[in-house]
Amino acid sequence: MGLLNPLNLLLGLSLAALVAIYLRAQARPTIEVSSLALFDEAPAPVARSRILRVDLLFWLEAAALATLTLVAAGFYVRMAAPVNRPLRRALIFDLGASMNAVDANGTRLAAAQRQARAIVDGAPPGDQFKVVGYALEARIMQAQVSRKPDLEHAIDALRATAVAARPSALRAALNSANTAEKIDLFTDHPPAPELLEEARTRGALVVHQVGSPVDNLAVLALEPGTPKTAEGRCLVRNFAYRPQTCELRIDLDGRQVFDSPLMIEPRAVAAVRFGPIPQGGVLHAHITPADGLAADNDRYALAPKGRVMRALVVSPDNAVRDDLARVLLAVNPGFQVTTRASALDSSPAADGKQAEPNFDLAILHDTNDTGSAAPAHLFIFPPLGQTGTGAAPIPVTGTASAVELQSRAGVAPLATPVLLGAARLFTIPGWMDALAQGADTALGTTLPLAATGYTSQGAVGVIAFDVRNHLLLDPDRLDALLLAIDTIKVLSTPPGAKVVATGDLVTMPTFAATTLIAPDSTRTPLTPDRWGRVRFRPLDAGRYILVANRQVTEVYANYYDELGSDLATSVAAPPTPREETRAPARPLIETKVVPLTTALAGVVLLILLLESAILLRRARTWGLNHV
Amino acid sequence: MLEQRAFEPEFLSKLDGLLLGVRRARTVRAGRRTLGRVQGGGIEPENFREYTAGDDLRYLDWNAFARLDDLTIRTFRADRQVEATVLVDASASMGVPARDDKLGLALLLGLGLAYVAMSENDPVRVVAIRGDRGGPRLIASRFYRRHESYYELRPLVATLKAGGDTRLAAAVTELLGERRPPGIVIVISDFLVNASDYEAALTQLVAARHEVKVVHVMGETEMAGAYPPGPYRLRDAETGETREVMLGPAAAQACHRRATAHAERVGSFCARHGLNHMQAFSAARVDETIVRDFPHLGVIV
Repeated sequence: MGLLNPLNLLLGLSLAALVAIYLRAQARPTIEVSSLALFDEAPAPVARSRILRVDLLFWLEAAALATLTLVAAGFYVRMAAPVNRPLRRALIFDLGASMNAVDANGTRLAAAQRQARAIVDGAPPGDQFKVVGYALEARIMQAQVSRKPDLEHAIDALRATAVAARPSALRAALNSANTAEKIDLFTDHPPAPELLEEARTRGALVVHQVGSPVDNLAVLALEPGTPKTAEGRCLVRNFAYRPQTCELRIDLDGRQVFDSPLMIEPRAVAAVRFGPIPQGGVLHAHITPADGLAADNDRYALAPKGRVMRALVVSPDNAVRDDLARVLLAVNPGFQVTTRASALDSSPAADGKQAEPNFDLAILHDTNDTGSAAPAHLFIFPPLGQTGTGAAPIPVTGTASAVELQSRAGVAPLATPVLLGAARLFTIPGWMDALAQGADTALGTTLPLAATGYTSQGAVGVIAFDVRNHLLLDPDRLDALLLAIDTIKVLSTPPGAKVVATGDLVTMPTFAATTLIAPDSTRTPLTPDRWGRVRFRPLDAGRYILVANRQVTEVYANYYDELGSDLATSVAAPPTPREETRAPARPLIETKVVPLTTALAGVVLLILLLESAILLRRARTWGLNHV
Repeated sequence: MLEQRAFEPEFLSKLDGLLLGVRRARTVRAGRRTLGRVQGGGIEPENFREYTAGDDLRYLDWNAFARLDDLTIRTFRADRQVEATVLVDASASMGVPARDDKLGLALLLGLGLAYVAMSENDPVRVVAIRGDRGGPRLIASRFYRRHESYYELRPLVATLKAGGDTRLAAAVTELLGERRPPGIVIVISDFLVNASDYEAALTQLVAARHEVKVVHVMGETEMAGAYPPGPYRLRDAETGETREVMLGPAAAQACHRRATAHAERVGSFCARHGLNHMQAFSAARVDETIVRDFPHLGVIV
């Protein structure tokens, strides 16, 4: 039920006028009579019935006015009616990594494709289908079309990625199919009922849960340790409800450094120590035999090269220098840290060592560039004015007395913002990417707190907030430390290799046309933007190669998602309230808005006729000939 | 409004040929027609009787004396000279209920009777009674004898409005103070006053040797008590007294009972005192009333 023109309910004020008229009529009228003697036997009125007397004519009038008001307001009801016309339908496919899981009938995506084809084949001619896939984001694979060959081609072309399907992507997919009168959703993980309710799809939503439970092992983490010094560690998790055996093999730049069979308890994690590895390089862990999902059977990590990395820390604050040195050593124990009190200070620093002419990373706190030839610079709480390297200045426009950290890139927004101290206000140039966002506590305005980017002179990073007073070591502000570590990791990554998670946006500095070679050997040309960067998102786990002017950069993409890798329980989840086990038989029932104007008008006419009949009857009683 | 019909030719044509009867014989004295058994001075032979000493020899029938040798006196019917007074109650009670138009009905009947009375050239006048601050006020027309003069009554009728209280006894006292010879007095009223008042009025008229004819006028609405149902405040049109009542079917029945009892009381009083009496309770059926009930007043068809 509802109203098409709710504003016309104002006509209901006529009811108030009717009540006023009724009360006026109820006010006892005076009749002049020839003699009161004729009325000696007439009963006296009952006082309380003066206002509350039920007058049938009044209620009929009130009902007529109320009904007319509803007619004017466009009262309608929703009625279910069979659909006899061609339908607009949508097929939504989960393309997350878990859809690549293999069971006895093939992959889950293949099962979904089979079901979709059956739906398409069984649909009456004229029904239009739209094919939408989602994982990292929603994507329309096939616009609304009724030709079955096109639909089957679009369904066959679906390919699952090695990223976890995001709820936001599902929400976007449902939104893109909002005009459809029936939506078929194919997924192995039933979506949360709240999400389906929030989507408020117009048509009927049928969730097809595909796949059966399968056993799966996944490499959770791979820590290379320190070459020649510290052991590395590899975590392998068994998602099955029974013990599983596998063989873990770890290679370093293609050379095997570890190989061992493992037996892992049900739903348990095995921590395997190996090494220390003899040198730095690309570490690759792989488990065999093949299990339910292949994407999480490999994991890559970068082991620091044996070469000593030099870092320069410049800060007028002695405590800050000390804190930053600790953070640097925590990121990479191989760092050789040099500290200075000021940029112009060329004398030996407090540690008594002689300053090195070249550094791999320069961290400048509350000071400008030293002019060092470091390939990476990190500016922390830069002074007002122009900062950054000479070719790519970063304008610092002011200072906020207190800011709070609200979000970091790649991480969900913080539930509780972290209160920081003073921070510089700066504008992120187009060649930089924001790593963290915050807000001015006084003004409430949003401002960037950390960013990194690449120039022709190397990598540049900015951390806007001040790290004095041991801010980075404050356990209540752990997110500030994590942000600093992430930033330093980005800046200290050696050129030529990078390890990322599937789905991450990878930005690589290059100033020439680049070719991206995916793990499946497909080649994609990439064009650098105005700042000399190329960007891409690795959607498959494995090695990506960027080739530009004979310069080769390797990007290793790891996939692991706890929910996506847990293939033993995903299909055993309780059904959602809106889930349907089978498609409804035709004809489909759809909800129609039926205005009740005619019916209500008929009611009004009946009321008026009844009123007339009552008036005539009363007139006859009163001896009136004409009414 | 109803009284305007009294001057319409269709209405008057129905009254042509009617005579207003006088219950007692008339005698003539000094050229006037009065009630009594006195030798009339007319030219229409009435009877013969034996001669007695003192009779006027001019009326001796000499032809009969020659044939029969008896002295016989010839008598003649006297000329008709009975004054008729149509006394119309124009008090406020005659104005309500307005739709009943009781005053119009009373005037219509009164004028009709006046027209009938003029059929034999009797002097007729119309007198309206209205209550006033100082007492009753009589609004009287002149005496008219001929149908041609009937229309002279129209100004009086047109300006007459109901108002004031009913003081029949006082009004009759004032009327009798004019010391007119006994004649016919037609009293037209709703008699919605104390019974003692109208009974005193009628008794005075009878005592003054007038032949009294009573027309009791009531409205259909007040006879039936057919008021719209609901709570009302009633106000007496004459006294201004108010009373709150709940009108409805039960009240209508009670009102009808009271009105009927009132009419019966008036009728029984008239019957006891030998007064001609008729009831006119419906303005809609006035023509039927004239035909059916005028004879009750002594109107001869």
